[in-house]
Amino acid sequence: MYKAGIKWLYRELSDLIAKGILSQESADKLRQHYGEVKSTTKTTAMLIILGTLGSLLIGLGIILLLAHNWEQFSRFTRAVISFLPLVLGQYLALWVLQKKPQSGALKEGAATFLSLMVGASISLISQTYNFPADASTFILAWMFLIIPITYLMQASIPAAIYLIGITIWSGIQSNDPVKAILFWPLAAIVLPHFIWALRQKIYALRTTILSFVAMVCILFGASFSLGRTWPCAWVIIFSSLYSIFYSLGWLKVNGATTNWQRPLRLVGALGLFILTLTFTFRHFWLSLGSFCHLDKSRVFGIGVLLDYMLTIAIIATAIALFYYNLKRKNSMVALFTAVPLLAIITYMIKDPTVFFTLLIFNVYLLTLCIRQITTGFRNNNLSVVNTGMLMLAILIMARFFDSDINFVMKGLAFIVIGIGFLAVNFKLARRQGGAK
Amino acid sequence: MKNKIIIRLFLCLALVQLVVPLSMIAKREIVLKQGAQFRFKVAPVDPYDAFRGRYVALRVDESSVPQVKEIKLKYGQAVYALIEVDAQGFARFVGAEINRPCGRAYICARASGTYNNKVNLDLPIDRYYMEEKSAPLAEKIYRQYAQRNKQDAYVLVRIKDGFAVIESLYVGGQRIEDAVKQQGGGK
Repeated sequence: MYKAGIKWLYRELSDLIAKGILSQESADKLRQHYGEVKSTTKTTAMLIILGTLGSLLIGLGIILLLAHNWEQFSRFTRAVISFLPLVLGQYLALWVLQKKPQSGALKEGAATFLSLMVGASISLISQTYNFPADASTFILAWMFLIIPITYLMQASIPAAIYLIGITIWSGIQSNDPVKAILFWPLAAIVLPHFIWALRQKIYALRTTILSFVAMVCILFGASFSLGRTWPCAWVIIFSSLYSIFYSLGWLKVNGATTNWQRPLRLVGALGLFILTLTFTFRHFWLSLGSFCHLDKSRVFGIGVLLDYMLTIAIIATAIALFYYNLKRKNSMVALFTAVPLLAIITYMIKDPTVFFTLLIFNVYLLTLCIRQITTGFRNNNLSVVNTGMLMLAILIMARFFDSDINFVMKGLAFIVIGIGFLAVNFKLARRQGGAK
Repeated sequence: MKNKIIIRLFLCLALVQLVVPLSMIAKREIVLKQGAQFRFKVAPVDPYDAFRGRYVALRVDESSVPQVKEIKLKYGQAVYALIEVDAQGFARFVGAEINRPCGRAYICARASGTYNNKVNLDLPIDRYYMEEKSAPLAEKIYRQYAQRNKQDAYVLVRIKDGFAVIESLYVGGQRIEDAVKQQGGGK
């Protein structure tokens, strides 16, 4: 159950008893049923942030102090000093594990500090011994050394650091598709922790942070590793990924959508809208060829197979989720997640004049905008209506800048859109006022 | 009970976290102690290309070698770059092989492209770390000495079993750290 909801209920209880709607007995029963609400979320978050920040500053300070006299030290001294941050981090983490194993905040802070100090130590060593610029080994070593911390200390920020690290690694390896594809199995290592975190506290801040980081990393990872042999496959891959994010964002867990899904919904919707808007431009399709650099000579063997399998799996998931939403009559979600299907159709027909392609996406986006506005109108939801209006305005403006209509007409169009905005808001506000 | 197991596992992890960097150090220390010493002339680095900050960006002079016959190298493919020492005592790259060479000095590198039947080598000798304050001046000095008409800069490298570790950087016959001190930098 949602914590804020219970809190609200408890606040209302005294009022309800006073008005005689609820008896004291039933109120007590309600309290018993839902139990005590610990209002620790905010303080915990603050503790984590301050604790992490504090330990980070201390660590950086130590490194700065040492770096000041760096050149006077012998190589051996430097090597020994390089271990200081690491040992400090380990000591702190061990202390927390022994003395405060119950404190999630302390564990998160200490785990984050240790994760960063592992990196600091290896980087100090790499400077002492003039490691080459190719950072892939350095990053991978660092990431493998910190991922167990996530599981031993049940901490999510090290998991986020790990995800970012392997994404950067995959980016460095993007010239070598066989290695770059390893992003996916490496990312899967975080999955059990993510599921665990969801089970622990589905509404917690850290799952929100983790899901946001994971999404961004998956998008980058996909661009580094997928569709290496399919020209322009990214058009389908990215619409599928955004579509999956968006669908998952609306998936009902325990009968409700939750906090961690908000970034999924936001990123998914934004991504889908921007992608589709891009797809409505003639210039985009005509110059698409230059966005599809393919060098098949570099792609061979197992890398290709994994690439194909993952790409197909992602597209299939997106379509399955679209079908699921369609069947459940989640029409708004289904409409949003139809983009990969449209992308596949346009990819298949390979329309050389791009007339039909543009028609499909323009009509689609227009339908989406109108649907958004009418849904908002029906539910009396001003923000949904305004989002729809904004989307529509962007679409219309895009078409106007696309074409050779003169300035007067463009100006008039802007005025009409502006009036439309005001009129709709005015009407809705009045309707809401009337309802009250 | 559960916490005890976690603490034990954490201690194991802590040990691994210490051993991995230690092994990195040990590997390089062994090369620095036992490896053969080579002097590579260095070329100037495009000043816009070089990152500023804590190191001097290096480029070994003549880092392209004749292409391996009958083998098409892929981008980023690992190669063994063969080394020869000339009459002045400077090391040069003379060829690249796919298989580990026997009885010859070599360094593990990557092919970073081909040009005019020559293979460009991506060498692990590209950074020389300095103290933050002296790094910019060091890079200036390096560029002066590495100029085409002067070419009085070289990097001292130890190599063992194809693994290279930079020992130090020399400009105008002295270590770059001393050259920086002479020019009054880093203070």
